[in-house]
Amino acid sequence: MQDQILIEMKGVQKWYGGYQALRNVDLTVRRGEKIVLCGPSGSGKSTLIRCINRLEAIQQGSIVVNGHRLDDSIKAIDVVRQDVGMVFQSFNLFPHMTVLQNCMLAPIRARRIGKTEAEATARKYLERVRIGEQAEKYPAQLSGGQQQRVAIARALCMQPKVMLFDEPTSALDPEMVKEVLDTMIGLANDGMTMICVTHEMGFARQVADRVIFMAEGQIIEEGVPDAFFRNPQHARTKQFLGEILAHH
Amino acid sequence: MTPHFGLPEFGFLLRGLQWTVLLTLVAFVGGCTAGLIVALLRTCGRTTVEWIVRIYIGIFQGTPLLLQLFVVYYGLALLGLKLSAFVAVAIGFTVNASAFLGEIWRGAIQAVPRGQTEAAMALGLHYSARMRDIVLPQAIRIALPATIGYLVQLIKGTSLAAIVGFIELARAGQIVSNQTYQPLLVFGVVGAMYFILCWPLSWWGSRVEARLALAGQR
Repeated sequence: MQDQILIEMKGVQKWYGGYQALRNVDLTVRRGEKIVLCGPSGSGKSTLIRCINRLEAIQQGSIVVNGHRLDDSIKAIDVVRQDVGMVFQSFNLFPHMTVLQNCMLAPIRARRIGKTEAEATARKYLERVRIGEQAEKYPAQLSGGQQQRVAIARALCMQPKVMLFDEPTSALDPEMVKEVLDTMIGLANDGMTMICVTHEMGFARQVADRVIFMAEGQIIEEGVPDAFFRNPQHARTKQFLGEILAHH
Repeated sequence: MTPHFGLPEFGFLLRGLQWTVLLTLVAFVGGCTAGLIVALLRTCGRTTVEWIVRIYIGIFQGTPLLLQLFVVYYGLALLGLKLSAFVAVAIGFTVNASAFLGEIWRGAIQAVPRGQTEAAMALGLHYSARMRDIVLPQAIRIALPATIGYLVQLIKGTSLAAIVGFIELARAGQIVSNQTYQPLLVFGVVGAMYFILCWPLSWWGSRVEARLALAGQR
């Protein structure tokens, strides 16, 4: 089980017009693996994970998720999105729905499960992110940290095989970062496969199986956290780590 | 003998008012339905479709409504399609409203943050669920003040229907005024009727706008 490949990206190239955002990216993620992606802004790390659930189309290469090859067909995109949960920097909760409705919508509409079951699942995951008592509130009534935890619960309600985190704590006030990271650590400890774009190096040290460093659309270096932080190989990585760790 | 403005004349104006309301309702409901389709096609992401709809909107926004009513009433008659004045102006106003409301709602759909659509896509929601459950409920709230404003314009604009012989409120007023030689009184009553129709809507529109502005500050 542990060695099963969940995501395989091969030779992925992506352009925005004349600008190349991803250059020949290869990435293999095994079931249960936790990967932290870091790098300077504009390095393509967000773009990379957004390609995995086809929020961005790629121009060359291949992406296989849980045995399904991602192409332009609606069916393939559908199947893959059912397996992949995503958490955004800006939460993107649906403001006109309560927390509970936010969590129930996709299972009902996309998985076609019944209302009662959807509600039970939603309440279960809201409890799990310790926000069960806020289920009837609207997103605007919650703090940023609470909203992000709801967003995590909402993604979990689809019972994804892998969770993508796109800078989940970057938009949060410092005192709320911890509650979101704790939720993510809990998720990691439960065995969820995760790819996290984040600058939280403490989190990377604690949960990551691998840390990947990107710059200019390429994967420059990767390794287990200990070696990655203690002994980075490339000058670009050293420079980045120097800059980012100086602040912490 | 010249009749004075009395109950029969007032009743005549009321019947005109009835037609004004009916024409407005038909044009608004029809315009909303067609306008929704226009707005959805205008934002569908297919360049060719978007351009065709853009031209459609451009034609109806860029030519006088008067001309459009002429074309429907006389133009279709020339093609052998003889329509009653009411049906003709109802079609004309509906098509015109679809272009204006379509453009208002296009803007509202595009004003819903992109992240909402992305989150819905990431959750595996299809286009129809994305639109129905996520984008449109938010877009409608954004578009409500402008839509109410358009409805007020539409009520007053229906007076143009008189041009093809349709007797609505303004035309009824003109007829009564010609009979009674009391234009000030007659048009005063006509104006009051329009005002009673439009003012509450305008008031509601500005309330909705204020509420939305408040919600936006949160």
